[in-house]
Amino acid sequence: MRYAYYPGCSLSSSGIEFHLSFQYVARSLGIELVEVKDWVCCGASSAHATSHLLSIALPVLNLSHAEKEGFDKLIAPCLACLSRFKGANIEMKNDPHLRKKIHEIFDYPYQGKVKVYHPLEVFLELGLDRIRARARKRLKGLRVACYYGCVLTRPPQIAQFDDVENPQSMDSIIQALGGETIDWSYKTECCGVSMTLTFSDIVLKLSNDILREAKEGGASAIIVCCPLCQANLDGRQRQIEETYQVRYGLPILYITQVMGLSFGAYPKEVGLEKLITSPKEVLGPIGLM
Amino acid sequence: MNIAVSKETFNLATHIQSTTGENVMFCYQCKKCTLGCPSAYRMRMKPHELMRAIQLGREEEIYWSGTIWICLSCETCNTRCPQGINILRVIDRLRERSKEVKYYNPYPAIPAFHRLFLALVERFGRIYELGLAVLVNLRMLSPFKDIDMAYPMFIRGKMKPWPHRSQGVKELQQVMERIRRLEE
Repeated sequence: MRYAYYPGCSLSSSGIEFHLSFQYVARSLGIELVEVKDWVCCGASSAHATSHLLSIALPVLNLSHAEKEGFDKLIAPCLACLSRFKGANIEMKNDPHLRKKIHEIFDYPYQGKVKVYHPLEVFLELGLDRIRARARKRLKGLRVACYYGCVLTRPPQIAQFDDVENPQSMDSIIQALGGETIDWSYKTECCGVSMTLTFSDIVLKLSNDILREAKEGGASAIIVCCPLCQANLDGRQRQIEETYQVRYGLPILYITQVMGLSFGAYPKEVGLEKLITSPKEVLGPIGLM
Repeated sequence: MNIAVSKETFNLATHIQSTTGENVMFCYQCKKCTLGCPSAYRMRMKPHELMRAIQLGREEEIYWSGTIWICLSCETCNTRCPQGINILRVIDRLRERSKEVKYYNPYPAIPAFHRLFLALVERFGRIYELGLAVLVNLRMLSPFKDIDMAYPMFIRGKMKPWPHRSQGVKELQQVMERIRRLEE
């Protein structure tokens, strides 16, 4: 299986371990990733807050690069990119007026042939049996909270994946690998990332709610699938502990890191040393690290 | 509060519908949007109040409250609205319109952040996280904000000291220039 791969800005800097671990997991599952040539930023929340046309044009620019190279499937691991791409595809299909405008801007008329996926969608399409068969170590003794972030499943008409309020895709992968997941109500709450550089007090409150709920639910780690959630929950954890006078010490792991460890990767291959809250205390006793 | 309804009252709602296709008149104040909104606690005008204010054409109050800038774009309200109003699309339209109408904005730092973000994207083709953080901090007059967060990321190689220039930046600049000309 060959996919165009759009890493996005975060995966080349603050989310580098998601990039490393996803590459590892893709290799072991036989997914071939080809990076989109000359990709540029998708505009994220700044483009759609500034100009609707721009927020469609930037994803289309990247999608047309993939289409020109003959791909019909594209993987975007960052949820901000993913949601912009899926939204652009749908609006291009349904709005002839907008399509005409976009075609005026670009020299190459994008046909809308590239379907956009999150790594989780690709994993589930492959099937849990295939993932289970690849596992060398069981995640026995690992009890985690799966946090999906805001736009993986929302809004359902754009995301078209998993249950919108109570998603199960990551839970089912962790369970297939022998781990335990908790039921909790903050799976799709927002961590506030678009305010992270401006009004960080909002981010601290929202992220604190997520960490508190996970801890109270009895999780020893949080599993995420988006580099922005990870940067907030992990990078700001010390600030949150100071502001709210609590102690969490919850490592925030990417789903691909846990899968990689189960598939037999060395900690360095999945970038465990890049995490700010060290997972050693959690993964060490169960022999994963 | 007395509300005088005239023909002009509906101008804003009509404008929103003609530009986005969203009809805010469908809103019947069930408050699902506000109850699910993660940042509503910080808003002076809650999302359902915003919908009512658009219905009544109270544009000045909308911009004065700053609600459109406190929205995190998490799409919870869109998902839960029983009337199927795409509230985020309406808010985005109001954000776009803020450039034209020039009302007072209590949170100017947020549109400034978006401008800086897009300026850096236009310059390098990709986000230069450290540069963006430094510029936003300078703009907010708090140059050392979050330095305790940046340091551990820096030593783990998660924050690049220099920007990376994408090969596709020429094409991107062309596209952004064309959009600017179209929207003038």
